[in-house]
Amino acid sequence: MRIELENVRHVYAPGTPFEIEALRGVSLAVEPEEVLGIVGGTGSGKSTLVQHLNLLLAPTSGRVLVDGVDARTLAKNELRRRVGLVFQFPEAALFAPTVEEDVAFAPRQQGLGEDEVQERVRETLGLLGAGHLAERSPFALSGGEKRRVAVAGVLAMAPEVLVLDEPTAGLDPAAREDLLGVVRSLREGGTSVVMVSHDLDEVAEVADRVCVLEAGVVRATGTPEEVFYARPAEAPTTVRVVSLLRGSYPGLGRPVRLGETLAALKGLLEV
Amino acid sequence: MAASRSLGQFYPVASPLHELDARAKILATTALAVALFLVDSVAGFLVVAAAIVLLVAASRVPPGAFFRLLRPVALIVALTVVFQVFFSRGGSTLFEWGFLEIHSGGLRMGIFLALRILLLVSAAGLLTTTTAPVALADGIEDLLSPLEKLRFPAHEVAMMMAIALRFIPTLQEEAQKITKAQAARGADLSEGGLLKRVRATLPVLIPLTIGAFRRADELAEAMESRGYRGGEGRTRYRELRFRARDAVALAVAALVLVGGILL
Repeated sequence: MRIELENVRHVYAPGTPFEIEALRGVSLAVEPEEVLGIVGGTGSGKSTLVQHLNLLLAPTSGRVLVDGVDARTLAKNELRRRVGLVFQFPEAALFAPTVEEDVAFAPRQQGLGEDEVQERVRETLGLLGAGHLAERSPFALSGGEKRRVAVAGVLAMAPEVLVLDEPTAGLDPAAREDLLGVVRSLREGGTSVVMVSHDLDEVAEVADRVCVLEAGVVRATGTPEEVFYARPAEAPTTVRVVSLLRGSYPGLGRPVRLGETLAALKGLLEV
Repeated sequence: MAASRSLGQFYPVASPLHELDARAKILATTALAVALFLVDSVAGFLVVAAAIVLLVAASRVPPGAFFRLLRPVALIVALTVVFQVFFSRGGSTLFEWGFLEIHSGGLRMGIFLALRILLLVSAAGLLTTTTAPVALADGIEDLLSPLEKLRFPAHEVAMMMAIALRFIPTLQEEAQKITKAQAARGADLSEGGLLKRVRATLPVLIPLTIGAFRRADELAEAMESRGYRGGEGRTRYRELRFRARDAVALAVAALVLVGGILL
């Protein structure tokens, strides 16, 4: 599925002293089977933006199109199943007595048969490497384990687009690597992933396209090479290193991922 | 992001009412609560109601937002009026149908009771919309402090109130976030019968409660690590100051209330 935002504006608490214009006319598309990284500082509107992808927030003006159809005309439940949204710190919404039941919540709400629900639970917990936690209480898990279970709770709906808002915030490096691995394998399986993050290094590793948001406006969109090399001061470490060396060694190209960058630098050393 | 605002929440604009000392406002509101039960004439209610309308205008809080306060109490008011009107006797009989009788005395009492509730809620709303929660808590602590001689824990009570007030918006925001997270998982709070709806709130209530306990723990630790040891010897960043205009405001309030009672 393809989701397109068309000149979306969002104003919180309009007409009061608390009025904030969080999005000031954002146009952006989420293409099928891609990983779209959304980066930007705190308060740039990232979280507000992603809540428009499944209409948890309605645009103050502008439109959200799903495969060319105005999303407001679609059934909300169906839209929210197809566009799975994982909020920041999603573990705050765990509630069931066991991990299994928590993950089963969304597929049950969907009205699936019990066999299929169990199948989904096993599958998603397995994908996140949390199968062994199924019987435990979600409240007795470690931070990283809770995060996996919470992501599984959304993935169990089998969404076509998975939206992750700061999925790695507060995770240790190993747990973060695991989660990025999940993002990669989802993409290979044909699910689009929208990943919001302010960690540029991790966005560089997984994103096919990057969108830079600043004060509610899209500053840039494009491939990671285009976006990051256009503004090397606000780029992942790999891009900053290469940008500094490129003056003397133009043959380095424009690597973004760590692997590519190392290969390019190795080439330099062996000459 | 506070997308929705709760009723009676502090509304930070500049107005003469916002400027007044919290203690003056608390005393005036308390006096009004007592006086309302002594007012017993149409003219008296008119005086008090006119005073409150004037104060709302002076507070610069949009009247629309302010009077939305009254909506949740409308049902209670309607019920009390119905009970008063049908079940209290006295005065001439105005209407009779089977066992239902309406007496002029009952009608009068019903209407007066409704006015009392509405005016009381308006006055309380006026206090909370024009007074910052911290100032409100400081004011209460100050007014209760004479009771400390009787071993009444004035500071602790005020601190508890301040924390409770402080966390209302936080918990609201948290509830909103969790509601959204569960909505993203297909939870639907607006459909089905009463039992179904109550059950549907569990996925929000459980994490909200757990989160509140966690927050309480964290807050206690943060307070202790910053050296909180209770109220003894504690000073304030913002000192309350009772100025001439506060005295004048109190005096005017007293005059209006006495006028309302005597009329």
